[in-house]
Amino acid sequence: MASSLGGVAAPAEGRSGDARVGRIRISLWIVVALGVVLPLLAAPALTENLSFSFYLMLWIILCTSFNLVAGFTGYMPFGYVAFYGVGAYATGVLHKTYGLPMPGALVCAALAGAAVSLLLAPTLRLKGVYFGIVSLALAVIFRLVVSMLPEDITGGSMGLILARANDPQTTYYVTVAVLAACLAAAGWLAFSRTGVALRAVRDDADAAAIVGIDVTRTRLKAWVLAATFPAVVGGLEAWYTNAIDPEASFNILVTAKVIVYSMAGGLGTLLGPVLGAGALYGIDHLIWQKFPVLNLMFLGIIIMVMILVFPRGLVGSFAQRFPLLRRYIP
Amino acid sequence: MTADLLLQGLINGLILGLIYSLIGLSLNIIFGVLRVVNFAHGEFIILGAYAAYFLQRLLGLSPFLAMPVIFVMFALIGWALYFVLVKRLARSDDPETASLLVMFGLSITLGALMLFFFEADARSLDYMLEPPFLMFGNIVIPTTRLVALAITLVITGITAWFLYRTFPGKALRAVIMNRSAVATVGIDVEKLSAMTFGIGLGFAGVTGVLLAMIFPAFSPFAGADYTLIGFIIIVLGGLGHPIGALVGGLLFGVTEQVTVVLADNSVALLVGFALMIAVIFFRPSGLFGRQQLR
Repeated sequence: MASSLGGVAAPAEGRSGDARVGRIRISLWIVVALGVVLPLLAAPALTENLSFSFYLMLWIILCTSFNLVAGFTGYMPFGYVAFYGVGAYATGVLHKTYGLPMPGALVCAALAGAAVSLLLAPTLRLKGVYFGIVSLALAVIFRLVVSMLPEDITGGSMGLILARANDPQTTYYVTVAVLAACLAAAGWLAFSRTGVALRAVRDDADAAAIVGIDVTRTRLKAWVLAATFPAVVGGLEAWYTNAIDPEASFNILVTAKVIVYSMAGGLGTLLGPVLGAGALYGIDHLIWQKFPVLNLMFLGIIIMVMILVFPRGLVGSFAQRFPLLRRYIP
Repeated sequence: MTADLLLQGLINGLILGLIYSLIGLSLNIIFGVLRVVNFAHGEFIILGAYAAYFLQRLLGLSPFLAMPVIFVMFALIGWALYFVLVKRLARSDDPETASLLVMFGLSITLGALMLFFFEADARSLDYMLEPPFLMFGNIVIPTTRLVALAITLVITGITAWFLYRTFPGKALRAVIMNRSAVATVGIDVEKLSAMTFGIGLGFAGVTGVLLAMIFPAFSPFAGADYTLIGFIIIVLGGLGHPIGALVGGLLFGVTEQVTVVLADNSVALLVGFALMIAVIFFRPSGLFGRQQLR
């Protein structure tokens, strides 16, 4: 009864009601974020096998930041892996070739990701399939350019080995910190004025411009943020595995999985990508172990079925089923 | 000598460009009529090459005779796929992006299946033409390329006749121009759409045979490359524009082959991409497109 009244809130209580809903949403997000970060922080004490939780964190970061551009701005960057690859290479080259300590190299990777996103910002002028195609082409260009750089810097097509940096424990804890930062940044973006502006721009850019939103700047904020984290993830992965090469660092499957995981959870909400990454990475992991050859086939089939049957993902379908709870979902 | 090499590159570029434009043509017909960006096109091209390989190995069919068989086979697959996959896309919120994603999934699935059944080794068609090369002054052209060029010209001719002189072809072009108006005048758009997807995949299969004749080795991994080449070509010429694909293909083929002469293969692909991005920024609707950026 109370909730049905809330659905048609009278104008007088509208503002304070909105503020209350907003507070609930923020608190829920903080609970979710702590619920994700704390167990992962404790994981090393509980299990020997860090690899699973390490990669789980990487996927959550990638999907959360992908959502900032795909879910909040409505662009579908098929070349998302480019940022990841640039970060991996920035870290690898700075550490191995120029002897920069790992933390410094990771900060530079983040800066490199942001710089590349600014370089590619003009592509945001394109829409729909044009943007998707160009983004994909740019990822291929980055791979080609990286593999053509002088061999004494990037190691050519063989890549680089970073054996000296090997320290999985430290890498793990740094990754937990990056995960926390990523969830916080996504929350900030979603709940701030910028977040409201972003959704307005996504739904109708012209109308948003009329009410005084700077469309370009708003998109750019999400775009740069969405590019910085995958660059750091690329660096973290390079640090963890101690190896980079052009094929692996610019593998289109990274984009594919990020798209699938976040769509499975539901783009456009903060919760969706986290949920999707958690659930599907687990499933993917099992499929990998059971069907090493055909796992890609399953990935492809999952993509098709999901888009045709559940285009809104877990969270989106839930919101559709229970419309009154929708506004409380972070 | 350099002039000869450049001329050689130019001629190679024109021949390959015309064959590439077949990729663009089929992609563009599909996009124009169905608003579907066929991310899996390259995989169907490679499947066409494998189909020719197995028809030859198992039935002793020469690649030339295999082409019409493969066209019919792939057209039927396309017809069926339309009803299984493509039709459902129309219900989505954003059909174009959804199509890109679904076809992306299909491309991953097909790539994995080919890898599973055909394995990673490169295969090649087994046939010889006499003489293997023809000389025109200082220009050397492999006979297979000339034969492939002739076949491409015939196919392009038939397509042009179909699109501009027959009723279904005209209806197809009309759907590209204005979908709802075509439905109003009583044309069964759904049947036409299924036919278009069939024709598009039929072309992809035949293009695969042609490409397997020119570039002898093919493997399950090459699909993505052909998809990208197709994308470059249709963006160059204008999305959904049949003639644009022809021009885009020639432009890309010449650019690629001339760059191969001057530098090497990966630079050639880079230049192709650079060309595409330049066109997108300076003339977003493509060289021939009239349709606005949507």
